[in-house]
Amino acid sequence: MYKNDTIVPFGAILAAAALFLMTYLNTHMRVMESGTVPHLTVGSIGLMAFAMVLFMYGFIGLISNYLEGSEMRPGKHMAPPSSLPMVAGVVLSLLLVGLSGFFARTLVYAAKEGFNPNALQGGVFAAMMFLIALLVVIYMKFFLEQEVMAEADKAEFPW
Amino acid sequence: MYQWLDERLDLGRLNAKLFRKVFPVHHTFFLGEITLFSFIVLVLTGVFLTLNYEPSTQLVKVEGLTDPVQAAYASILYIDSLPFGAVIRSVHHWSAHIMIAAAFLHLLRILLSGAYKKPRELNWIIGILMLVVTIVVAFLGYALPYDNYAITATRIGHGIAESVPWVGVAVAQIMFGGDFPGSSHNIPRLYSLHVLWMPLVLMGLIGLHLLIMIKQKHTQPKYAEKVAPGKILGVPALPQQGLMSGVLFLVFVAVVFLIGGGFLAHPVEAYGPLSANTPNVKPDWYFLWIYGLLKIIPSSFEFTIPLFNGGKFGPEFWGGVVIPSILLVGAILIPFFSFTEGNVKQRYLELPSRHPRRTSLTIAGLMFLIMCTMAGYIGDPGMEWLTISRAWLLIIVVPIVTYFVSFWIMRAIWGETWQKEPEIELIVGGGQAPRA
Repeated sequence: MYKNDTIVPFGAILAAAALFLMTYLNTHMRVMESGTVPHLTVGSIGLMAFAMVLFMYGFIGLISNYLEGSEMRPGKHMAPPSSLPMVAGVVLSLLLVGLSGFFARTLVYAAKEGFNPNALQGGVFAAMMFLIALLVVIYMKFFLEQEVMAEADKAEFPW
Repeated sequence: MYQWLDERLDLGRLNAKLFRKVFPVHHTFFLGEITLFSFIVLVLTGVFLTLNYEPSTQLVKVEGLTDPVQAAYASILYIDSLPFGAVIRSVHHWSAHIMIAAAFLHLLRILLSGAYKKPRELNWIIGILMLVVTIVVAFLGYALPYDNYAITATRIGHGIAESVPWVGVAVAQIMFGGDFPGSSHNIPRLYSLHVLWMPLVLMGLIGLHLLIMIKQKHTQPKYAEKVAPGKILGVPALPQQGLMSGVLFLVFVAVVFLIGGGFLAHPVEAYGPLSANTPNVKPDWYFLWIYGLLKIIPSSFEFTIPLFNGGKFGPEFWGGVVIPSILLVGAILIPFFSFTEGNVKQRYLELPSRHPRRTSLTIAGLMFLIMCTMAGYIGDPGMEWLTISRAWLLIIVVPIVTYFVSFWIMRAIWGETWQKEPEIELIVGGGQAPRA
């Protein structure tokens, strides 16, 4: 709570991994006991929900620390120019185009065959969104002027 | 184009007043944003579902099934057969779970950092109401697929609603549109409450919550006091805060689609349509602690007041209504039992370690919920050791022991300084933001 540190986000990611592992072991034990598992239990769904929140929180916490630092001072800051982020951006954009085409193919396949490859569809779509997030992070880190401001406590907005 | 609009709408002033507003930066603030993004994804995926869902219990024939099934159930099978349809439905389901989990963790953060204190008492109350409404919306949507599991699980909630003395039956009839299950009005009533009325209430509360947050401003990490005392230190709303929120939204969508595709939540085909066979079900995880209370309160714990046709106070009422209501009212009143020194505004996040009583009490409360949740598994295979008397013992003893142990640990680590916030050394002047 003292500063925008990496300790709590890192701990959150570890906790998320532990919760995912608990869910996996729970499901695995049910498979060993009864042979098949038609669905996740309500307990497993709860554990996974918390695991997902903790993972997202931890991940964005680390990104925030990477982009904005742990302590801020008023002023402006611009990353030194480099060609590496531009190359990375072009490569990721090409990958994104490739994945978009592949995602469209999974939809066409599902429409033609009447079978949804759910994990593949969800996974490819997730990868596309993750790539766009990475592109935005690269833009923020290397192409956006980082500004830190100090504002008076009294606000006129919205009233 | 911009000049044309600016001359008419004074966009420059809007930019100066709103988009240049300063947002403090701390990782814990993202928990509230995750909750908001879950709601946005729920609305977006919900729009797709409403285009294909049929809120009716009329029997229809479905290709591949021998017996006719309810139209609501059949429409879920249809949604699952659409390209990407099953994933979108699964994402809708997972987002609801994530929203409740994120709202709960956000609430814990506010509690542990003292951000509920003056002047933010109202927003604390609105936040708690939002969590309650979110849980109600999720519950109302649970029965909509009209499969055997969902209907049986919803019956537990229906039973709790009916248990309220004098008015319970009428309340249940209004909420469920008649007897549940059985009435043809069940699904249309639950559907309209789930997709329209309760989300409208939630939207109103979210708008109010954000408006008050903008007016009162965020609490800030403690170090900001030494950099810019008495001021708000942070990044402008646009572009920096907006882009960071965009990154979080994309990460949210990525995670929820990855999990939603890999783990289809609530696969209706596995449960089948409503039938005479009652499956062994449990309510969703966020109701498991109430379900646990219902399991341990003896059925003999019941009396009737012979007034106005007799009001029955049964175990379902005590476990499902009274205890949760006491906890809810207690949570709402928290800001009114804590006072900041000198009655000043709470500007900075407090360190949980420097407030061991509050932190220990919060952890003890969590242990109470976990123990009650565990009681929900009484009688399950592998849980034979957990009897009702042991569950009572755990629910009472574990939170108390947890409180004293965590309090003792914090005092042992921080010794005599535990009551003090860290010393602040003022830094004069500005400078560039140090990089990570």
